[in-house]
Amino acid sequence: MRTSLTLRNVRLLQLAFYSLSCLWVIGCATHAHRLALPRDQFFNNQLTAAHTSLEKVVDKARRDRSVAELDLAIIELFNGDAQTAQSRLREVRDRWEHLEQTSLAEQATGYMTDDQRLAYSGEDYEKLLVGVFLTLSDLMQGGIDAESYTLQTIKKHADLIERLQAKSPDESTIAAYRLPAIAPYLRGVLREETHRNYDDALEAYQQAIECWPHLTQLQSDIERVEHGVHSSPGNGVLYVFALVGRGPYKVETTHEVTSEALLVADQIFSALGKYSVPPTLAPVKIPAIACEPKPFEFLGVQINQLPAATTMSITDLNLLAIESFAANQTQVIARAAVRRVLKKGTVYAAKEQLEASSPVASFAMDAMGVLWEASESADTRCWGLLPREIQVARIELPAGIHQLSLEPIILGKPIASAVDVMVEVQDGANTYALSFWPGIAPVGKLLVSHR
Amino acid sequence: MRNMLTVALVLSVLGCRSYQYGHVVKDNQPSMVGSHSAGSEVYDPLVDEAVAKLLGACGSPMSLEISPEGFPVARQVCFVGIENKSAEELADFKDQLYEQIDTQINRSQSFRAISRHMVDVALHETRLRPDSLFIPANRQLFADVLQQQGSPVDYLLYATLTSGTTERNSSSQRDYTLTLELVDTRSGEFTKEQAFIRKGYHRSPLGRLANYNPFTVWR
Repeated sequence: MRTSLTLRNVRLLQLAFYSLSCLWVIGCATHAHRLALPRDQFFNNQLTAAHTSLEKVVDKARRDRSVAELDLAIIELFNGDAQTAQSRLREVRDRWEHLEQTSLAEQATGYMTDDQRLAYSGEDYEKLLVGVFLTLSDLMQGGIDAESYTLQTIKKHADLIERLQAKSPDESTIAAYRLPAIAPYLRGVLREETHRNYDDALEAYQQAIECWPHLTQLQSDIERVEHGVHSSPGNGVLYVFALVGRGPYKVETTHEVTSEALLVADQIFSALGKYSVPPTLAPVKIPAIACEPKPFEFLGVQINQLPAATTMSITDLNLLAIESFAANQTQVIARAAVRRVLKKGTVYAAKEQLEASSPVASFAMDAMGVLWEASESADTRCWGLLPREIQVARIELPAGIHQLSLEPIILGKPIASAVDVMVEVQDGANTYALSFWPGIAPVGKLLVSHR
Repeated sequence: MRNMLTVALVLSVLGCRSYQYGHVVKDNQPSMVGSHSAGSEVYDPLVDEAVAKLLGACGSPMSLEISPEGFPVARQVCFVGIENKSAEELADFKDQLYEQIDTQINRSQSFRAISRHMVDVALHETRLRPDSLFIPANRQLFADVLQQQGSPVDYLLYATLTSGTTERNSSSQRDYTLTLELVDTRSGEFTKEQAFIRKGYHRSPLGRLANYNPFTVWR
């Protein structure tokens, strides 16, 4: 009698342990809710408030730290503090490099809960864009490291492709997985400015046009570096970079598990266990890319109140995010499938351990299992303060101080009043202007490079 | 239960991310050999050999002009730049190669390299492309600007990197050539020297043995 009671107590304790374990690993509040307020504040041009809100997220939400810091870097950049922004971007870049290594312990936790439990190491498009924003923020301060950042971005893309080829031999997906054209373009711009390395500039512009054939301006850039010079004597060049629209972000969606994903899941199971598991799976929750339309087509650029040029898109971040996301989607679905099967298997093993054969105990554990599976949510963490497009205009001007005016244009007509800033153009050198237009008015400051 | 704890323990011990480490490579240690493209193991010896040949060919102190005070006058060389015509991008090696060649030329007794900054200023001021300096009028204009800066120029130096690739199944051999061309600014005559390195790339460790049999007698 006593033995039976003791055994019962042990089983009750085990049941309590499994229940508590399930509750502990249930997913938490989503990332999107935590960062919605600061991001809205930024888009409404409340940079100080957005900065304060995001700093709280960095302090409290450990798993959101990287994306919150990236958002902070954008706020700091357009608040005129390019140095802090650059240092923050470097920190995230280095952290993500470290996190690219697989941690088995963390992956195991991720399989028992959801992908939000994994330390965020950035989507592939975000890793490339960290390099692009490092270059832009460095250019605003004289550009001493800008060339290195462009090379790092191009190298990063090559590494990502290599890694992807090892995972998936699908050449069409890899071929569509483009380098953001702005990375080689910026390298071309910097090499051309040396007045010596026109061959490097040509190679970079050719690489940019392969990535983004829509930019007709690149043809004239190629023509110039093949046969011409950077600028005529006494002139310099002004590059106007505009970040237009609100960038891509992740939303939760459900997805039927494809046979390809099941195959990958099966491979993972075969590697982990002795027996194969035949799962019957309901749709799993995975993230998808969403993006709002552009607020206008392009910016009209006036110099000293005279029309000089219009900006042209050099990188579509939405397309970039969709392409890089599609290349990795099978892996995301496979992880979700494995997670689902592992959870079912854990409940099954718990039942066997506890000998929960009575209908009530079995029902209770099934209910716990259902709750556990339902608690999953897709990993929607992302760099939220990106633009939808990066646009550029190149204008050769006489050395000296000029008034630069920018106005948003739809169907050839301005839709809002122009924004002005004074720029100093130097003989034979580049000057850069950078602004962010999530709507029809810019947020923060219109930045101009200084040497 | 015990099994689960064991698995958790093993995962936590074995499955952690490692850190990155670095070390300084000693002078007597060979350079790392690039698996996909050329690196310092190719470029360093190319530069050393090409510069040594060039200095050997036209850098004899006996051929130098003698100043009125009786000292040999080193010839002024303007290193215009490196052109990369190889199948690989030079990336951050380009400026490194420039500095290596420039420094080695400057160390010789026969030549004195003009500061890179002065060359940049002259290119900037004249808005001449480096490849356009082969035209005598452009060369003269460029030399005049350097002369005005206090750096008369006797020779222009160009470096060109080229490559040729031979494929065989999953292996390939790439031949790298560095050519240095010294052009007399007055006469337009030139001296050319080359250094050459071959390198094999293989998809498998046995590729080297299969393609470069150590017992083969080369003629």
